[in-house]
Amino acid sequence: MSSILRRREIILFLTGIVGGLMIFEYFFAVKETAAVSSTIQKWAIIISTFALGLGIITAFRVHLSHVKKRTKGQWFFSAWLMGFFVLLTVIGLWNTKFVVYDWTFKNVYVALSTTLYAITGFYIFSAAYRAFRVRNIEAAILIVSGALILLRNAPIGEAIWKGFPILGEWVLMKGQVGGMRTLTFVAAVGLVAFGIRTLLGMERGYYGGGE
Amino acid sequence: MAEVDRRVLYWVMFIALAIPFINPLGLPVPITEMTKAVYDKVESLGPKNIALFSIAGGVSAWPEIAPSMVAVMRHLVKREVKIVVWGFFTDQDITVDMITSNVPELSTKYKYGEDWVYMGYLAGGETAVAALASDVHSVFKADKYGTPTEKLPLIQRVKSAKDVDLVLTVDTGSYITYYIRHWNVGKGTPVAEIGIAMQADQVVFYPANLVGLLIGVRGGAEYEKMIGRLGGGTITMDAINISHLLFIIVIALANIGYVMTRRKK
Amino acid sequence: MPYPTDPLILSGVWASVILTLMVYSYVLYKETPVFRFAEHTYISASLAISVVVAYQTLSSNAFLPISQGDMTYLIPIVLGLLLYTLPFREVRWVSRYPLAFIVGVGTGIAIRGSVHAQMVNQVLAAITLPKAPQPIDWFNFLFSLVAFLTSTSYFIFTREHTGVLKIPTQLGRYMIMLALGSYFGNTILFRMSMLSGRVEEILKVFGIIPWR
Repeated sequence: MSSILRRREIILFLTGIVGGLMIFEYFFAVKETAAVSSTIQKWAIIISTFALGLGIITAFRVHLSHVKKRTKGQWFFSAWLMGFFVLLTVIGLWNTKFVVYDWTFKNVYVALSTTLYAITGFYIFSAAYRAFRVRNIEAAILIVSGALILLRNAPIGEAIWKGFPILGEWVLMKGQVGGMRTLTFVAAVGLVAFGIRTLLGMERGYYGGGE
Repeated sequence: MAEVDRRVLYWVMFIALAIPFINPLGLPVPITEMTKAVYDKVESLGPKNIALFSIAGGVSAWPEIAPSMVAVMRHLVKREVKIVVWGFFTDQDITVDMITSNVPELSTKYKYGEDWVYMGYLAGGETAVAALASDVHSVFKADKYGTPTEKLPLIQRVKSAKDVDLVLTVDTGSYITYYIRHWNVGKGTPVAEIGIAMQADQVVFYPANLVGLLIGVRGGAEYEKMIGRLGGGTITMDAINISHLLFIIVIALANIGYVMTRRKK
Repeated sequence: MPYPTDPLILSGVWASVILTLMVYSYVLYKETPVFRFAEHTYISASLAISVVVAYQTLSSNAFLPISQGDMTYLIPIVLGLLLYTLPFREVRWVSRYPLAFIVGVGTGIAIRGSVHAQMVNQVLAAITLPKAPQPIDWFNFLFSLVAFLTSTSYFIFTREHTGVLKIPTQLGRYMIMLALGSYFGNTILFRMSMLSGRVEEILKVFGIIPWR
């Protein structure tokens, strides 16, 4: 029985049927398919919620092996990670308003989250100094357009010359629209092509392909 | 010059950002067309209208989007618009707490369940947005606090996208595209975005599918000016001024050096 | 606003600034155990919040309907639990079912939504004449249209970009660079806002600027 259930044809068929139903329901107004489609979407949302836990299993496997092997320079941090996670999770599942949980999230999580995200600000500054060279026309257009947007975004641009925000606004609202529209359009074409390939069973990466 | 240690550059940027907080420049922030469009739309709403405040941005993006979120929420409350809040980020509870602490009228003037409601988190990305557009009640059975939807008069009025008068999506990624696809194109609901600066490329959907767009902290500063309550966005703009000027200088210096090096060769 | 004196709030703001400086020690100095500690703390906190929020969501939207008698919700719950076989090689095949389900739904919804919004509407927007045309509106319309057509021609990979395609594709590259330059400029605004938010926090807590 399990050898039948392992067959990839069943997986591909399930993907195709479910996806096809979503598309059919949108383009053809059939009441019965609308009800089934709504149920299926609800189920997909619930299954996706479970997916949040997958990262935790993987993380724990990695860090538990560090602790078992006493990996130099790492095992203590892994133990801290797992211990702190268990503490916060137990408290959070019991009562999210409890002072330890509430304090940790408002002060520790928020600070670390914004700080780690903000760290790339340093890197982009370093990259601007080291890498942005006017080597050819394309690079020149990129840098000039970027500079005009910088001077449009910062009010100091207007203080330097009144024309900067006007030019910057033109680049943002009109100049870049054609190119950005193309990227949007082409991305959509790619999405549809990849999607149809997935529904027809030609793309197998999502379930581990050749296994 | 090209061999300068990166850490020197990082310290230069760090100090340059600190200076305008100590000695503010106070330059005025001009209002742009897209911010005004969002303002005008919210201004046109009233107590009979329902706005959806969708949080699709995490705590990590607060410096960019928090000023806009607070300013727009203050405007909605001033117009007495009914507000439904839900989101797609696991840390959004902290964001909602931040908004309610900065907009105390949500507790003092508004009645929870009748004037505003927080439905909680949903996984599923575009699937969730599409499902909500067709049937909100099939997806949400209770609000964030476990109160069944039958006991929440406001959410009883919102059965699908057609019952919402304006979607305000706080976005750091693709959710604006999902709302445009399934709520605006699919059901005709007006959609506006409170986005990080990188979302400015969504201007391709303006004005046909997008009411307007608040771009990053600049959008927040503009909106604060429009509602007459300056806040975090306005204060941050001084740091933005200095940092952007520094970028221009650094790129110019680097390229002057590059051209001179090439000429020598 | 005065500097906070409540011990809970005060301890919180100082903890947040110390953690910020721990993270910035990596950038402004070098990688140290102090940075690694902050990094691992963040990972554990974000994993914990995912679990708690996922449980709360399932309680409201899946367990509650089951407690009210709607047993059909057992199906997605079982499928969701089957996802947890993914990390285990021997039983990994079981997780393909819920994955197939999610991928099918997500793909179908993405396709149906993008056709109209991102393909049809974009073409319509490109060819729609300006409503109250001034000379500048005509210029903008023609510029956008030419930019759209030439940058789309750049993505023709089935023919070499020579002959009749040479000039349009070259122009298309310039238009794409114009768009990407604009994106780069906005990225800088984003990164600088993020950074200035943390710098402000540090200055406030150290009392260098007033608390607000």
